[in-house]
Amino acid sequence: MTDFLINWIAGIPVTAAPYALAALGLIISERSGILNLSAEGLMLVGAMTGVASCIVLGGHPLIALVIAMVASSVVSLLFAMLTVVLRINQVIAGLAIVFFCQGLTGLIGNLAGWQNHPIAGLDKWTIGPLSEIPGIGKILFIQDPVVYLAIPIFYLVNRVLRFSMVGLNLRAVGENPAAADAAGVSVALYRIAAIVAGSALVGLAGAYISVVGVKLWFTGMVGGRGWIAVALVIFARWAPWPALGGALLFGCIEAVIPRIAAAGIRVPQYLMLMLPYLATIAVMVWAGATQRGGAGEPGALGQPHVREERR
Amino acid sequence: MTLRPKILLTSLAMALGCAASAYAAGFTLPAPAKIAFLYFAEKNDGGWTQAFDEARPKIEKSLGQQMPYVEKVPEVAGQIRPAAERFIQRGYNVIIGTAFGYSDTFKELSEKYPKVAFLNASGTTNGPNLESFYGRTYESQYLCGMVAGAVSKTGKLGFVAAHPIGPVNWTINAYELGAQKMNPNATVTVIFTGAWNDPVKERAAAQALADQGIDVIGQHVDTPTPQIVAQERGIYGTGHHRDLREFAPKATLCSSAWTWDAFLAPELKKIAAGNWQPSPYGAFPGIKDGGTDIACCNAVVAKDVVAKVMAERKAIVGGKQVYAGPLKDTAGTVRVAEGAVLDDAGLWKMDWFVPGVITQK
Repeated sequence: MTDFLINWIAGIPVTAAPYALAALGLIISERSGILNLSAEGLMLVGAMTGVASCIVLGGHPLIALVIAMVASSVVSLLFAMLTVVLRINQVIAGLAIVFFCQGLTGLIGNLAGWQNHPIAGLDKWTIGPLSEIPGIGKILFIQDPVVYLAIPIFYLVNRVLRFSMVGLNLRAVGENPAAADAAGVSVALYRIAAIVAGSALVGLAGAYISVVGVKLWFTGMVGGRGWIAVALVIFARWAPWPALGGALLFGCIEAVIPRIAAAGIRVPQYLMLMLPYLATIAVMVWAGATQRGGAGEPGALGQPHVREERR
Repeated sequence: MTLRPKILLTSLAMALGCAASAYAAGFTLPAPAKIAFLYFAEKNDGGWTQAFDEARPKIEKSLGQQMPYVEKVPEVAGQIRPAAERFIQRGYNVIIGTAFGYSDTFKELSEKYPKVAFLNASGTTNGPNLESFYGRTYESQYLCGMVAGAVSKTGKLGFVAAHPIGPVNWTINAYELGAQKMNPNATVTVIFTGAWNDPVKERAAAQALADQGIDVIGQHVDTPTPQIVAQERGIYGTGHHRDLREFAPKATLCSSAWTWDAFLAPELKKIAAGNWQPSPYGAFPGIKDGGTDIACCNAVVAKDVVAKVMAERKAIVGGKQVYAGPLKDTAGTVRVAEGAVLDDAGLWKMDWFVPGVITQK
């Protein structure tokens, strides 16, 4: 039983990290007032680029992760162009980007023959003698570098959003773009920067799945995790730390499903496979019931900004 | 009517040949066979579709013609129909589909184009010019189970499967029956991922199995992920669809691999020859007739084990039945009586597991 628990808990960060990183990326862009549904698509871009750069360029997998972040940011410029410059409906633009990326990654990846091509990927770090502490060692000190990096990334993003001038401007742009504009803050620039920076994290989440998690790329391998990240943002009320908590919750559920089966515990398996989605609904209901007056939601979320336009 | 001399001759020969059923209402193409494939996924998907694409050159050689294909035709009528009709308009008169979800559309098409022959892998519909086909995968998985049972030190085998449906359940049960032949105490712990290709869930499943002390992992999912995990963890696995030693040369002991050319080449020749009689319930070839076969074996498998497995393979080709009674399920109910053999209908609706299979329901 203790083995079961330790193995389960030690497996949570790997399943939780993609949700956490993607949700954090979305928070950055949504705090600037851009409703961002493109996560699923940009994760696919990150997943494919990460494996592709491992296969084509070789080198350290961490470099592949950086390349995936850049690729995802580049594709997100299209989304920024649609929503900020052309001011297209953000829901539709987000969906369009998802479908575009699904097709694009499938086409490029298969033409290049990257599908089902195993890579060495990023291994776990064993932190010296600490990893030999029974139980805790396996849980805390044998994880991959991205999991360790995620904590400072969360700290940093939270810090910048809440306590820096850049963060204040970004939030102002998301709350009341007209006021921010009047105060001399460039709404378009902040929004584009937020989309690009956020998308880098979303791309990292996708590359994490392929390069660190599965060590293989397969068409459409993100499998709906981007949508769960979108729901997590709402659950977390657009705040980084609660998003990390939510991601861990989903990580817990996803990690326990195969373990229950492997331990031979008889639970209806379709119920188990349903759990992440049941949890999503439960989380949304809870968020809806407890958030009065859209607490936490950026005031101008989903609204394009046109200077001097009356609302 | 202008029949080409060759067709005329062959139909004459057929008519003479089966004098008993002199007027057999077989299906004859009005023109020489021109064959085309509709692939369900990418041709390099590493599994199901790639098995067809690897069989295709052999079939082309055997029939002496090029066979075009379309990739990624999803299981949607609105996508299957135009893909098939484009081939038909270009003069192709034998269309081979590769997915369960093509069944209904192929039935419609076969009625709309009575002069075109249709074949569909893992389909469920049949007709005068339509034949579905699938392999008796339990035969090769039974042999893989034997290898797994012999190599496993703990006697605890794992299995990563997609969905608990007949054609998957029969591979699991056969795997356990094969393992028991080599180690009577062998168990198979099954994890269903609920998807044919979700490498994320497959990896999680294989890792969970390895954490439980399982040392050989079988599979019936489309990606090689369980084999790759086995190799990382220093344990073994057995593959499905194709010889997965390509992905995990150390870990993969053997694979249950499709041998479609062995079935399709003769079947297509029959269609080309005319007076083709599609099986009314679909073709269901075993090792003998070109369904699946065991791709055997990794060097770590002992010689005497290989010899035993090959002897068993020979027996199966010679008519030995994997699902011969007496067989009970995990609850103790008799599913196949002593002396009986499970029929095809029983196979397709198999929703029970033999003792030794540990699974959620």
